[in-house]
Amino acid sequence: MAQGACGREGEQAEMMVGTVIGHVWATKKDPTLSGLRFLVVQPFTLGEATAETIVAVDPLGAGIGERVLVVFGRAARHMIGRGQDIGFQAAVSAIIDKMELEGGRTVGPTAEEDSKARS
Amino acid sequence: MFLGRVVGEVWATRKAADLSGLRLLVVQAVDERRDPGAKKVTPVVAADPLGADVGEHVIVAFGKAARVATLGADGDYAFEAAIVGIVDDFDVPGAPEEWRMEDVAAWRKARAGGKGNKPR
Repeated sequence: MAQGACGREGEQAEMMVGTVIGHVWATKKDPTLSGLRFLVVQPFTLGEATAETIVAVDPLGAGIGERVLVVFGRAARHMIGRGQDIGFQAAVSAIIDKMELEGGRTVGPTAEEDSKARS
Repeated sequence: MFLGRVVGEVWATRKAADLSGLRLLVVQAVDERRDPGAKKVTPVVAADPLGADVGEHVIVAFGKAARVATLGADGDYAFEAAIVGIVDDFDVPGAPEEWRMEDVAAWRKARAGGKGNKPR
């Protein structure tokens, strides 16, 4: 995982917005991860949309289509709440209500609501 | 750490308890634009203890540095990035035109007396 800069192609930001596009289940996994809920999240990008996705633990209960704040590293392990010695390093730390971008562009809690606002 | 430009702000109601009261800004690194192949950029979300505004250039730190700068001490908090400086000026010889700063002074003056939503 990239340390430092924003996410370019092939890199990841350490704290970023993304859209929940699915769930993942795994029976066989690191014992420190049992009982956790895993989401597939597509990072929010400026410019072209990205096809990249990441997997994040979700302690807050976000649904598909919702925009979330994803954190990595110590913040993520803190969100998971099982101490710092666990086998995962990405987690949802907030569910986004609204994002205001320069140029007056407003992004809502889901991609669907963006298009509603535009029309 | 990187030099970036604030491009937006994020609000969330359902969030980790330790994020409450933290202003969260969306920051794009200036150097993304140096790479002509970078058609898509994932901006970083950073806690903002300083009161930066959209359009300003800022320095962003990660990890322990971010938590210490924001809350005065490291600990278990649900954020990994923070604005640790609002840039007055910089000089990078040969930097592309896109790095340039907006005239923040003039811009702030125009905004003064406006919404006044900066937490200081």
